[in-house]
Amino acid sequence: MRALGGIAALGLVGGLVAFPWLVEGSFPRHTLITLLMYAALAQAWNVLGGYAGQLSFGHAAFFGIGAYTSAVLLRDLGLTPWLGMWVGGLLATGVGLLVGYPCFTLKRHYFALATLALGEIARIAFTHWKFVGGSLGIDLPLRYLNQGAYMMWTDKLPYYYVALGLAALATAVVLVVDRARLGLYLKAINQDEEAAANLGIDVRKYKLVAMGLSAFLTGVVGAFYAQYVLYIDPKNTLILPISVKIVVIALVGGRGTVLGPLLGAALLVPLSEYARTYLGGLGRGYDYLLYGLVVMLLAMREPRGLVALLARLGERAAAKPAPQRPRPAVADVTTKTTKAGAEATPRGEGRHGAA
Amino acid sequence: MARSWTRRAFLRAMGAGTAALSLSAVWPFGLKAQEPVRIGAVYPLSGGLARTGAAIKATLEFTARIVNEPHPQLAPIPLAEGAGLTGLGGRPIELVFADSAGDPATGRAEAERLIEEEGVVALCGAYQSSVTKTASIPAEARGIPFVNFESSSPTLTERGFKWFFRTGPHDGVFTRLFFDMFDDLNARGQTIKRLAVLSEDSEWGASAVEVEKQLAAERGYEIVAVEMYTTPPASLDAELLRLRDANPDALLGHQYLPGAILVVQTLKEMGWFPPGLVVHDAGYVLPDFLKTVGADGNYIISRATWALALQERKPLVKAVNDLHKERVGTNLDGVTARGFTGLITLADAINRAGSTEPEAIRQALVETNIPGEALIMPWKGVEFDEKGQNKHASGVMVQILEQQYKLVWPFDLAETEIVWPAPGWGER
Repeated sequence: MRALGGIAALGLVGGLVAFPWLVEGSFPRHTLITLLMYAALAQAWNVLGGYAGQLSFGHAAFFGIGAYTSAVLLRDLGLTPWLGMWVGGLLATGVGLLVGYPCFTLKRHYFALATLALGEIARIAFTHWKFVGGSLGIDLPLRYLNQGAYMMWTDKLPYYYVALGLAALATAVVLVVDRARLGLYLKAINQDEEAAANLGIDVRKYKLVAMGLSAFLTGVVGAFYAQYVLYIDPKNTLILPISVKIVVIALVGGRGTVLGPLLGAALLVPLSEYARTYLGGLGRGYDYLLYGLVVMLLAMREPRGLVALLARLGERAAAKPAPQRPRPAVADVTTKTTKAGAEATPRGEGRHGAA
Repeated sequence: MARSWTRRAFLRAMGAGTAALSLSAVWPFGLKAQEPVRIGAVYPLSGGLARTGAAIKATLEFTARIVNEPHPQLAPIPLAEGAGLTGLGGRPIELVFADSAGDPATGRAEAERLIEEEGVVALCGAYQSSVTKTASIPAEARGIPFVNFESSSPTLTERGFKWFFRTGPHDGVFTRLFFDMFDDLNARGQTIKRLAVLSEDSEWGASAVEVEKQLAAERGYEIVAVEMYTTPPASLDAELLRLRDANPDALLGHQYLPGAILVVQTLKEMGWFPPGLVVHDAGYVLPDFLKTVGADGNYIISRATWALALQERKPLVKAVNDLHKERVGTNLDGVTARGFTGLITLADAINRAGSTEPEAIRQALVETNIPGEALIMPWKGVEFDEKGQNKHASGVMVQILEQQYKLVWPFDLAETEIVWPAPGWGER
């Protein structure tokens, strides 16, 4: 079984590495890059919003901080984004911890509201901050164009591999979190914070760890985005729709699972890109309608996301012809977690009401 | 889908017709005449700006038809008289539209797709300055001319690009208009010397205030007070009281819609109106502004890129606008008039290049020299400086009179006399 999974994983990785060679032209490659970028972002969000259960609607702030940090370092100091992106990640982590420390006393939707405010504050602050170009934003210096050492190309292919690397990195982090003790702690916190605290888990500490990891990865991806677009302003890095898109992808895919954010990005990013190309050119917004419809249908059919949907289909298929159950390791974990979570939530809320 | 096919079929048929006609005269080139010259156009066709994008698209298609079919009645306009690009054996132009969705990353990806997959010989677009910035990067990298018609950020032509051209004015040009108008008014016997500024404090307002301070110093005006606020303002009472106490000859304003409405309401409550309230269009020209403030908006003077009233003095404007109204169903406006002029400029350059080689087209753009008489704009012409900016791009000033925007400056194009100083509230 293990070996089979390994072979499948190897095949997947091989396919992803070879994929851009199979599709010609900038547009499909652009779609793939966007897909991988959002997969990485949703995966980063997953650590905090999925495993630790702290819904954040302000991740655009970390995304923007990463983008601006590496852009400014390149603009003013000529520091290559290959290093600048890590600095951007660290700064995002710093802001995440600073904001997280007081905000983690807030529970559930109150925390979500606080992060919503964080995103908006970041947007307004950057819009008025002259040093980062205010509402005019930053043009990345094009004298570095086509210098791999400065992560700036006219070709799409190199960007694809950087995006693939970032998605792999974010997935690896989630995989480690999922398997490590940290993942168990976070899940425990997600299910019942007070019970977790009673068991001796330092709730705030582990929430901060999750926040730090999540903000760091998001900031790094933000720096990549700046290099990819070569122009950033508050309207393309710090706006609420970016935060919401990250959340929707993670939720549609299945939060708190390793595969969920990847599946969500694989479904929703091509859907929105191609719906725009084929339906959007009319100026009538059919592409948004279609996008919304798919998200609504999924939310109605399987609120736990694509991962759970696939697992259910897999179980149904397995129950009929074959006596032995195929064992998709991840999906299994999900169903258990979410079931437990579903039971835990009402109890937890009841207690808050009593307190 | 179906529409683009019929258009293509139509162009093919027309190209074939042209070919047949010219077969005897220019035989070896006759067959080539069927193939249209493709021009890529990146615009926001979905999202919040979809309506603007759709309006631009309709006007550009209208413009292509004027190039491709004979329109002798519009004769001074380059390429209007004949059919197609006469310099290329009558080949028609074909526009290939792509949707930026208003997003810089998407705009860039679409520009790349147009260059690689659609084989366009030049690009135009993209309305928003931020999208124009990114969409012009692949054009510069691959050596394809990019002509922008309607983005106003001054930085676009400060990037040292070799393949980027802008036919329309940028924000710096507009601010200069204020002072040109003050100079003209002073020459007519007014005394305008002391200026005050009320501005929202985002980059747009803040950078405009800097330009105003600089121009005032250069041209002998005095800025006596500056008040900044954050949009949307809850109240402007304190700001406007301080401005009133400075007693300026003119008040300059940069407001989005909520600010614009509040300025008028507060001025009325205070019972004060400066001799001239001169504003950057923004909030003051949206339909909701006059709907809300009604007659209280009278006497405000705003910058504008274009005004339909130009047709009173320029018969060409009327001819083009009438045809536009007949075929597209709407009047031209500041955005679409710039689009029309820009596409004509680009087509004219390709025509003079006599080739679809990018370098030949770029060279022809550099050598562009269209006189003001051949334009529907209030400009002296189209001629690019070494940065690719049209030297003659300019604008006009309109004044709200009887709840209508009336063209009042430049004086030789004005449809009605400017009211300066504006009457106080009691005298209206």
